[in-house]
Amino acid sequence: MSRKNRNADEMFDRRMFIAAGVGGVVWATLAARFFQLQFLDAERYQGLAEANHVKLVMAPPERGQILDRFGRPLASQRQAGRISVIPEQMSDPEAVLNRISSLIDLPDARRIRLIEEIRNARRRNSAFLPVIVAQELTFEEFSRMQVHAVEMEGVDVQMASTRSYPRGRDFGHVLGYVARASGEDLDRLTTGLAPEDARTYQEMFRHPDMRTGRQGMERFAEDWLRGRPGRRRVVANAHGRPLWELEQDPKQAAIPGKDLYITIDAELQRVAIDRFEGESGAAVVIDIENGDVLAMVSTPAFDPNGFVNGISGADYALLRDDPRAPLYPRAHGGVYPPGSTFKMVVATAALEAGVIKPEERIRCPGHYRFGNRTWHCWKRPGHGAMNMHDAIKQSCDVYFYEIARRSGVEKIAEVSRKFGFGQSWVLGMTGARGGLVPDPEWKQKARGEPWFEGETLNFGIGQGQLGTTPLQLALMTARIAATGAPIRPRMIGLGPVDEDDAVLDAPLDREIMERMKAGMYGVTSEGGGTAYRSGDLGLGGPRLAGKTGTAQVRRITAAERATGVVRGGDAIARELRDHALFVAYAPADNPKYAISVIVEHGEGGSRTAAPVARDILAAAIRMESGRTPEYARRASTAPEPEAGEPA
Amino acid sequence: MSRDGFTGFTRGEARVRTATSSLQFAGLGPLGQLARLPWGVILVISAMALTGAAMLFSTAWDPVNQMPSPHEADLWRNHLIRFAIAFTVMIVLALTPLKVWAALAFPAYLATLVLLVLVDQFGTMRGGAERWLSVGGMLVQPSEFAKLAVTMALARYYQTALNSTNYVPGFQVHLGALAIILLPAGLVFKQPDLGTTLALVSSGCLVIFFAGLSMRIILPVIALGIAAVPAAYLFVLEPYQRERVDTFIAGLTGTATNGLGESYQIEQAKIAIGAGGLSGRGYLQGIQSQQDYVPEQHTDFVLTVIAEEFGFIGAIALLSAFAFLLVWSFLVAMRCRSWFGRLASCGAAATVAFFAIFNISMVIGLLPVVGMPLPFISYGGTALLTVMACFGLILSAHLHRDEKLNIRGLF
Repeated sequence: MSRKNRNADEMFDRRMFIAAGVGGVVWATLAARFFQLQFLDAERYQGLAEANHVKLVMAPPERGQILDRFGRPLASQRQAGRISVIPEQMSDPEAVLNRISSLIDLPDARRIRLIEEIRNARRRNSAFLPVIVAQELTFEEFSRMQVHAVEMEGVDVQMASTRSYPRGRDFGHVLGYVARASGEDLDRLTTGLAPEDARTYQEMFRHPDMRTGRQGMERFAEDWLRGRPGRRRVVANAHGRPLWELEQDPKQAAIPGKDLYITIDAELQRVAIDRFEGESGAAVVIDIENGDVLAMVSTPAFDPNGFVNGISGADYALLRDDPRAPLYPRAHGGVYPPGSTFKMVVATAALEAGVIKPEERIRCPGHYRFGNRTWHCWKRPGHGAMNMHDAIKQSCDVYFYEIARRSGVEKIAEVSRKFGFGQSWVLGMTGARGGLVPDPEWKQKARGEPWFEGETLNFGIGQGQLGTTPLQLALMTARIAATGAPIRPRMIGLGPVDEDDAVLDAPLDREIMERMKAGMYGVTSEGGGTAYRSGDLGLGGPRLAGKTGTAQVRRITAAERATGVVRGGDAIARELRDHALFVAYAPADNPKYAISVIVEHGEGGSRTAAPVARDILAAAIRMESGRTPEYARRASTAPEPEAGEPA
Repeated sequence: MSRDGFTGFTRGEARVRTATSSLQFAGLGPLGQLARLPWGVILVISAMALTGAAMLFSTAWDPVNQMPSPHEADLWRNHLIRFAIAFTVMIVLALTPLKVWAALAFPAYLATLVLLVLVDQFGTMRGGAERWLSVGGMLVQPSEFAKLAVTMALARYYQTALNSTNYVPGFQVHLGALAIILLPAGLVFKQPDLGTTLALVSSGCLVIFFAGLSMRIILPVIALGIAAVPAAYLFVLEPYQRERVDTFIAGLTGTATNGLGESYQIEQAKIAIGAGGLSGRGYLQGIQSQQDYVPEQHTDFVLTVIAEEFGFIGAIALLSAFAFLLVWSFLVAMRCRSWFGRLASCGAAATVAFFAIFNISMVIGLLPVVGMPLPFISYGGTALLTVMACFGLILSAHLHRDEKLNIRGLF
């Protein structure tokens, strides 16, 4: 065939065959490649695929409960309806949120903030993590949302575990509260951890169900309550969003947190709070036999439930700026001058120093001259000749000016510290304060001035720089009531132990303590006692022994002294009135419960604080608040391990 | 005479046909024409398009709620609707006589050139490339129509050159054909759209090959082309295209870095395919491709869904379906009496073949990633319409295989 004029038909046929041949080779190459990928290397790729989509995700542990001494729940996990959205699944977040707000109550401000949050999540590449829209749904809201959730993109309506405080503000100051972990919390919680543990913590606390103790017992017992996170095997999509669960490895399961028992009797706590009838104040009840704190009341208080899901700035401001200071933990963090309730300490100091004999009488003309100044007794006409018993019973200030001067500031300060003043007890709470026991050394350091002896006289009647907490006063009373036996104060019944909390075991003379008890009995049960009317518990038998006190909020003016009329009651503004104090124990003949009560601006210890203390003590006796706690019974009835297998 | 109902060919039929067979259905009108269509071939095409819809349904499947996830549920429905439209277009085109096709070839080619220039001037940017033209709210891709238009124009061009002599045309004739290819190819490359450019040039050159360009020129040009690859890599390719080639080479030499970057896509595709194994995970079970591990699993990487869910068996079935359609198209070309019909069906078949080959090779890691859909199956209206129109042309060449077009001159 010549090169020119070739027949085109033949050429075309030939070229078709060439093309078919090349096509066949290409087909075979592709098929061979599929064979290689799907047959020869299939196992390797199946492994890679599994590594791809099987992920170990964080399984948050269930937080342990907090229970009172009889097993009543004070903080527990509750299932509540929650709406969350997954930003990556939403094409129009605004429309979805508008729809949700037509079904449930969703404030405009919150909705706008959520839209912003969803947009940010998309930008930050964390769009697969749920954003919580609303929680604590009512039953109606929950069922309405469940019906309509399918119509909305990326909306998830489920039951979630949240912290709840069934007794609300009764335990705000004791338990504190939990909250989502902030950066600061994470820093605190991960300090000293190995890097990989720290990463696990950070991942765990990102989980929307996770909370950490921010205040109070919740914070103190965080490690005890939290438990250990586990890992769940799930199939996840490419964005890391879990799709469904695979078979779980039991070794990888989350370990729930342990339950924490506290020594408080929640019912006694309730009675005590009610008894304040809305007045501000504090009360602490201690079991004299074992140091268990049975009630720890600070009122007004806050409701910790409001903090669990993050408190709004406005709500927090309301609490913070409330003039009655509901955030202030008065019982263990409130520092007050103890007033006359301190007189047993001064008397003990004087007897220990041997500067006075119990029966020695000191005459009270209603005032006391020292240097060129005059100190007054609360009873203007004077008490006459007073021995120690009468001086405590009638709370004679002149007597105590004299014995304080004789004992000297150093001795009173030393005995104060033996009773536990100036020292703080954590007892598993936050915000505890130690108050102040003044002495020359302190004054030199703090004020740069020497101690004036006149200050010793003020110290002698529990005024001046002396600062004490209601908890300390209750402990003082407990030690007196126990006739000097050691007291180991505690509020954690079954939980982590705080090694830092001291045992009150400084030696106190038994005979002196008996005298103090007799004096306190006189206060409530002998004619002339400052709280004579409050001695009967109303239980047809047992009586209480106590001591009144008044903490000065302002100085009594010279003009008032001159006229002899100290203004009080309605004549002066409420916030300037004195605080009323009362410390007591009961039953008087066989002490079991010690109490301290402060009623802020209550004016007279005998008039306002003593009846409160009496009713709380009566309730404690009636309800047997100090009986064997459940956790002790539980520990002793734990099944014994089998001695041996039967042959 | 027994007629094979599947392919439409009579067994042992020669290319030179008796007049009777073409007259057999003459006078029966459009209905008779419909009856003459090779329904077996159309069935395979439809099956592939339905497979595409089924795969889109699978990628939208939410295994947790046991229903398609709402924001992806439209894809498979859209695909079905588009297929229905494209199917109608294909049948209408199939019934269009070859002489009409031939008459429309150059006007269509010129119109496409105008559209491509318009895209260049007023096109819509998307994903860093100007490929789309907004027509009454719809986005169309003129570069897709260019594939069919170039094929028609080439076939029409060679019809004049070959029909008069039936001798293999000389070199200068082929140079004209080359110009027909390069004019639109250049415009498409400028968009930039490397995949379509490659498809245009490849299928166009294949038509030149079938038109008889001397092997003495073809072989050196292929050699030169291979030699020019490094130069093209350095001076012609955009940085992102170069990156893809780098990734591809790294993948071949085993130095690919697992994880992010360009290699992620191809790595995940290989994992999805390989994990399918011999018989696949089963329909709706393709977690790798369902759960977004493979990007673009609706469009260019839809093959991974088939390979993961139906395994090696599914992959071979797919390859065989393509092979069947292409072999049948070649047979149509060989049986056609007009050069226009022959070269047009060759070019149309080559267009579909290059789509398929490039797409499959890219997904299984034999070629660098170029944007190229899998014919009939990938989600994408314009591409579906293009391949269906290509088959409309081939079907027309089949129906009108005995027409001997007597066109002289170019117009």
